[in-house]
Amino acid sequence: MLHLRFIFRELILSAKQASIFVLCVALSLATMVALNTFRKNVSHSILGDARSLLGADIRIHSHYPISRGIDKMVSDLENHHDIEATKTYELYSVIRPLSGMRTLFCRLKVVGPRYPLYGKVELRSGRPLSQVLSPGKILVEPEVLGRLGVKIGDRVHIGEATLTIADVITHEPDHPVNIFSLGPGIIISAADLKRLQLITKGSRVEYSILIKVGRNDAAINKLADRLKQVSQPAQERITTYKTSNSGMKRFFDNLFFFLSLISIFTLFLAGIGMQSSLSALLREKQKTLAIIKSMGADSGFLFRQYFALVLCLGAIGSMAGVAAGLILQHFLPKVFQGLLPQGLTLTVSVFDIVEGLAIGLLVVVFFTFLPLYDLRNIRPVAIFRHDRTGTGRGILFYPVLAGGFLLLTVLVVRQLQDLKIGLYFMIGTTALIVVISLLTRVLLAAIARLQVASLGMRQAMKSLFRPGNATRSIIVTLTSALSVLLTIFLIQTNLSATYIESYPPDAPNLFFLDIQPDQKTAFANEIGGKVELFPVIRARLVAINDRPVKQQTSRRRGDSLTREFNLTYRETLLSDEAIQEGKTLFTKDASGKTPLQVSILDTVAEMGDMHVNDILKFNIQGVPMKARVSSIRTRTKSRLYPFFYFVFPTEYLQHAPQTFFAALHIHKKAIASLESRIATAFPNISFINMADTAAELGRLTQKLITIVNFFAGFSILAGALIMVGSIFATRLARVREAVYYKVLGGGTRFVLAVFIYEHLLLSLLSSILAVVLAQAGSWGLCRYLFDISYSPHLVVSCTLVLITSILVIAVGIVSSIGIIRQKPAAILREQNGE
Amino acid sequence: MRQAKTHCLLAALLLPVFMLCGFIRPIDARTSEQGKKTFQGTIVAVGDSLTAGYGVAEKDNYPSQLQKRLLAKGLDYEVINSGVSGETSSGTLSRINWVLSLKPDIIILEIGANDGLRGIDPNLTRENILKIIALLQKKKIITVFAGMRMVSNLGLRYTHAFHRIYLDVAKDTGVIFMPFFLEGVATNPALNTSDGIHPNRKGYKIIVDNLLPYVLKAIDLREKTSE
Repeated sequence: MLHLRFIFRELILSAKQASIFVLCVALSLATMVALNTFRKNVSHSILGDARSLLGADIRIHSHYPISRGIDKMVSDLENHHDIEATKTYELYSVIRPLSGMRTLFCRLKVVGPRYPLYGKVELRSGRPLSQVLSPGKILVEPEVLGRLGVKIGDRVHIGEATLTIADVITHEPDHPVNIFSLGPGIIISAADLKRLQLITKGSRVEYSILIKVGRNDAAINKLADRLKQVSQPAQERITTYKTSNSGMKRFFDNLFFFLSLISIFTLFLAGIGMQSSLSALLREKQKTLAIIKSMGADSGFLFRQYFALVLCLGAIGSMAGVAAGLILQHFLPKVFQGLLPQGLTLTVSVFDIVEGLAIGLLVVVFFTFLPLYDLRNIRPVAIFRHDRTGTGRGILFYPVLAGGFLLLTVLVVRQLQDLKIGLYFMIGTTALIVVISLLTRVLLAAIARLQVASLGMRQAMKSLFRPGNATRSIIVTLTSALSVLLTIFLIQTNLSATYIESYPPDAPNLFFLDIQPDQKTAFANEIGGKVELFPVIRARLVAINDRPVKQQTSRRRGDSLTREFNLTYRETLLSDEAIQEGKTLFTKDASGKTPLQVSILDTVAEMGDMHVNDILKFNIQGVPMKARVSSIRTRTKSRLYPFFYFVFPTEYLQHAPQTFFAALHIHKKAIASLESRIATAFPNISFINMADTAAELGRLTQKLITIVNFFAGFSILAGALIMVGSIFATRLARVREAVYYKVLGGGTRFVLAVFIYEHLLLSLLSSILAVVLAQAGSWGLCRYLFDISYSPHLVVSCTLVLITSILVIAVGIVSSIGIIRQKPAAILREQNGE
Repeated sequence: MRQAKTHCLLAALLLPVFMLCGFIRPIDARTSEQGKKTFQGTIVAVGDSLTAGYGVAEKDNYPSQLQKRLLAKGLDYEVINSGVSGETSSGTLSRINWVLSLKPDIIILEIGANDGLRGIDPNLTRENILKIIALLQKKKIITVFAGMRMVSNLGLRYTHAFHRIYLDVAKDTGVIFMPFFLEGVATNPALNTSDGIHPNRKGYKIIVDNLLPYVLKAIDLREKTSE
């Protein structure tokens, strides 16, 4: 049944094509395997960060003592060694040194014995928490020492107890990054809880139980549900490390989805590369196959042989790809040392390997089916004539196509882990390829009709339509590859812009609140320089166009229209604001004065469905005020900068009751002393220290930038290689023509010119088409799937067109240069001997 | 409208009588913004989130509930909510002139909780409150002053000093003093929202129950002094 010698000979003879084929298979798998296993590991580590942030797999918290039902369930589970748990109590209090009049408002965290369950509390001495924190000893943030004028070893009064400062906290893992702290932190052992006498009826305490399950998500979610059933829903909140920070969660979901998209794209690309290289291989062999058929072999025989060949190549490619993927993954931590999380463990399961191989073979089968099926169209008469092979579709064509499509869909859905999106993706990609085919057909037809003066150009255009040409297939491949690459780039930069670059290093990290109007100058002097003060006027939004704002209907985007808002006034936009609707911030009337109006932020406009010229009615602490919406602003930068929903012109609110707040960027070490000075001079001013938050976010985002860049870059590289391969694969026909031109009298220069023109046409057609499709696709994905803003990066797009052209031309020439320069007679002799 | 006309007529008739008696103080006809209702007086509730009604619907906060109770009793007083969530005594002092533009006859002052929650020096809070009340008394506005207690996790020393603010101010200024605004409501989970600090609708109902006698006293006083 299998003619092994035949297969082997075919393999050797078309080694170049075969190796391109193998390369495509290997590349696609390498990306997928590396990505999947790396993603699992990174996901584990990033979510490990999420665990560190929460301090647990599950956290139960309440402003009242934890109810008996939950308490009992947790202790039962602990006794069965199913979980590890610890209790924490967070409260504010005023602490005093042993002598002197100073006091300090601090955030106390009283922790049980196994704290922290995840992450590490870093201390100045470098010792572990368990060694240092014991009854009678406390750990304090550096600010405490500065503001109270105490040092390690001193004792302080906390509540009714007197405790000794044992060490200084340099990093606290589970201080949630989005919780403001009104005072520096102190960690106290739960053994001292009673002595403090601070937790009594009438205390404001956040009670928490932290639980470490140490098993998979399903087990965690199951336990969380069980706990919810015995909890007091009105008081107790139960969150898991995945649900606790929804903003971050959304970002991670987007990130991993994007990475999955990349891996799928790469797979498809490789598949197209495989198909085109196999088609080219078989096209080269048309004469040979016709001879074999005329000797009695039927289509079935040929199909079996080549199918075996394909499987063999596919297997080699798969194994190479999987191996490459694993090796690559091993080197990744070394390459990105210092940027990736410490102790990133790379585990590879046998399952991953087998899965990789299986996927590889499946993909090979699906993408190579068509060229193989076309074998039956080769007729023996092709020996004598250069007939265009028939393109009749047989009975098997559609069912197999459908089956393959289904298999691929299953693969895609599995990779993206979402049925709906997986289906949309498949449909979208198929539509993409269909659209590209159609457009290519149209464009080529247009070119065929063009009249051009230059002989070289004319020949180039005609040669695009030579019999048995693979022009359409090349353009489809190139366009698909390029559009995918550009899409990856566009989406990646837009994701970065929205989520990652939103936290610049000089973002404000210290906020001062409640600065009274008569303190403005003194405050600025104390800070020592120019500081921007933002006026804040508290008010409620009462009605929009006389429609009262009601509580139930107004919750959107996690915010409510019925809460109190901070109005402000100024005459200009902030540095990170832009006008989205309306011409200018405020409009003047005919006499040049600025009437009463308000500029609103796009987020609140969306919440209340507000538009320019709507009339908003406010209640400013009892005093009503109506204003027309003059413009809608949008923010172009970070969420860490102050922002205001409602901005009025100065003259209307400058006499309204207001306080001011200041946002500064101060070096972390200088914060404590600045706070001390301000607290002494202005006891009513509160500060919010975001330095640690900013640092934490900066660290995380840096990590993520690296990961996204790496995968995108890898895919781009893989795609470029595939593109080069497909050009390479179809060079033979061009070479033959070159020879004939020479025979007809064209010099090397003319031949070169035709070559360049032809490749130029191919690349321009493909890249321009790709840019159009990539822009459309990326815009759609950003707008509807990721829900982020979109920027087209036209310069990059044009650069892509340029680079593609250069690359295609270069590859084409390099692969044929030897032949072009040779004397025609030599080639003819060689070719006839075939 | 007919009521307004009657009032104006009465005023026109009574005015010469009063002027003859040497009292030149007509009863103001007060209309709300759309001129729908006329009130015989204005009460402004000045305070923080406990006055603003953080976490409950507009109609359930204490000034709204107080309004309904007064109207039910036939006392046509407008209760205006001038609460600002998160406000400290410094903030109230800064904005008291804005509040006075509402021309209140009576002010219910409930402030200081946020000073405590931020650990601000009780002496500063006391000074601010004394300045506010001095201003109100200068303008002859009748003040109902609500006392506050601080959460016990701040420590005995602080909470003791905090409560003394209110006792001292009440004694020094002689205002109508309600000892503890959250009496019977604080620390009871059924009467507070999930944050344990802000009362819910039921909690505010009890607060209004407790507050009402003091408000009635203030209204009484106002009626007496305006005669």
